[in-house]
Amino acid sequence: MTVDAPETTFDADEALDARLDPRASPWVRPRWLLLLGLLPFALALPLFLNSVAGGRFWLHLLIIFFVWGIVTQSWNLLLAVSGIYSFGQIALYAVGGWTTGYLATHVGVNPWISIWFAPVAAAIAAVVIGLPTLRLRGVYVVLITLAFLELLRNFLVNSPYEKISGGGYGLLYVPKLDFGSLGEGRKHVMFYYTGLVLFTIATYWIWRVFHSPLGMAFTALRDSEAYAVSRGVNQFRARLFLFVFCAFFTGLAAGLMTHYQGSISPSILGFGVLINLLAMIVIGGWGTFWGPIFGTAFLILLEEKWLRAGELQEYRKLVLGLMLAAIAVLAPRGLFPVIADGVRRLVKGPEREEEEEIAEAAGEAPIT
Amino acid sequence: MSEFIQSAYSGVLYGSVYGLMALGLTVIWGAMRLLNLAHGSLYLVGGYVGWTVVNRLSMPVEAAVPVSIAGAAIAGLLMYGFFLRPLVGRPGWDSATLITTVGVGIALEAGALLVYGPQVKDFPSLISGSFIYEKVLITYQGLLVMAVAAVCLLSVSTYMRMSRRGMAIRAVSQDVDAAKLMGIPIDTTFAIVIALSAGLAGLAGVLLSSTFYLSPTSGFTPMILAVVVTILGGLGSIKGTVVAAYSIGLIESFVNVYAGPSWGLPVLFGTMIVVLTLRPNGLFGVGEVRRL
Repeated sequence: MTVDAPETTFDADEALDARLDPRASPWVRPRWLLLLGLLPFALALPLFLNSVAGGRFWLHLLIIFFVWGIVTQSWNLLLAVSGIYSFGQIALYAVGGWTTGYLATHVGVNPWISIWFAPVAAAIAAVVIGLPTLRLRGVYVVLITLAFLELLRNFLVNSPYEKISGGGYGLLYVPKLDFGSLGEGRKHVMFYYTGLVLFTIATYWIWRVFHSPLGMAFTALRDSEAYAVSRGVNQFRARLFLFVFCAFFTGLAAGLMTHYQGSISPSILGFGVLINLLAMIVIGGWGTFWGPIFGTAFLILLEEKWLRAGELQEYRKLVLGLMLAAIAVLAPRGLFPVIADGVRRLVKGPEREEEEEIAEAAGEAPIT
Repeated sequence: MSEFIQSAYSGVLYGSVYGLMALGLTVIWGAMRLLNLAHGSLYLVGGYVGWTVVNRLSMPVEAAVPVSIAGAAIAGLLMYGFFLRPLVGRPGWDSATLITTVGVGIALEAGALLVYGPQVKDFPSLISGSFIYEKVLITYQGLLVMAVAAVCLLSVSTYMRMSRRGMAIRAVSQDVDAAKLMGIPIDTTFAIVIALSAGLAGLAGVLLSSTFYLSPTSGFTPMILAVVVTILGGLGSIKGTVVAAYSIGLIESFVNVYAGPSWGLPVLFGTMIVVLTLRPNGLFGVGEVRRL
């Protein structure tokens, strides 16, 4: 059966662009003034940290925060906002990191150039993983993406190409980003700035998608696929776009991390890293914009600062596991919305509270 | 010839192991639509309870079996009571249960690490001894595992079809609301399903620890393979689980023997990706997961 295409066929790519256009979502505006106010602080912070004792460690934590912040934000978009339970995000991270690491180490490409191959490679890998995955639903997606993860780990550990696997140790001598002849402290400051720029770009774009008609389409697909599709959401294209979009930024973060640490190893594909990232999203705020950012900062502090300082490293996983389980039961939306609500209540006083609760209850009622 | 017998023997053995593990997962999925990612940790509970009974209380291994099953079942019920029951009827069941079970799983694993340490523990087998047939070492314990798995698969499927409780579980699997309206106590049914599934994991833990040893991380691989089996067979289908368990066991061991041990898992996962791409609901799954 063939149906003649109507004259008014609209170009799909154009439609996608249009839905990401700032004018398509006039109800949100970035708070330029607030951001502008924060800018000098963000720029001066590393210079200050570099000059105080013990500040270098904080600088290191901030750089790690930028990297994992990008990863958790994109994973949150995929996992929680769109309800695609892909556990392969970290595999895409590894693809990105390995691409740029290999190019810089064995081909001799300047890290500043090779780092841009990381997001591209991750995006291509996302298409490869995405095409079979997008036909599946729910927990089937968990499994197929875990399978890709295991396949990749197997390849990276047992690969017959020693140059790739490094005998199971990964790439150990990746050149770091080249900042000329700066001192060690100054280099950290430059890494911070690089991370800040990438983090800002990624966050801006994720924010854009989050608050665009496209982001609404993702949420609609998650909540009621049949309804979303019947309202004209092309689920295949939307989901493929999302996969590639999230992979792009994850790959970028991986590139930065690889050239910051100067190495990447297959242990990145272990279950521990996956759980850590999941915990950042869940504890921060599943499906909210600020949640993953807050959760990443919180968990990095918890792990690197508090537990390590208190010799409690052994209890890390126990605490993490119980926190995950408890938060899913007690505060399903994560810590950030709970804290934000508390602050709002303090600021706005109790009269508004009731209204908000009614609005919230109406919005949260189960549809079925 | 001996290579073939070796592959067939370990294939059936692996198949039994996977079947035993996957049975619990598929029963839970059927009744509760819950992928229990803490299943591997319940296996651990079974193993460590058994180890404690044998080594700390110096009781015979035979006594460890019922205690382990009970221990794992109690752990499962506690998990249900504290972390799953409050979630019933709330929106976002899928993601919330995925997170809680992962969380409970990690916590149990970490608890085992804190209490028992990271060392690999030896576990005595229920029946010692072995014989050699065509140059292949066949242990009595291995044969026992096969027999127990077959008995469990058969009796659970009979229980589901014949008994009153089993029929209640199947009714809940088909439609929770309708079952509730017919007066089936949902809460009790869920509790029975969890206890049954956790008990099976505990049984697997006590039976398999003598072959695969016991360490805080040893629950992970059996669980992942059990998840593969369950999903490949079609979630919620016991028949599918049986078929998938034995075919995956055989594929894995034949590839291991003929192509080399590093190929087993990649081939397995490759097969799974292909099967799921062609049949998005697994081999015997009903088309409920795909709603369009």
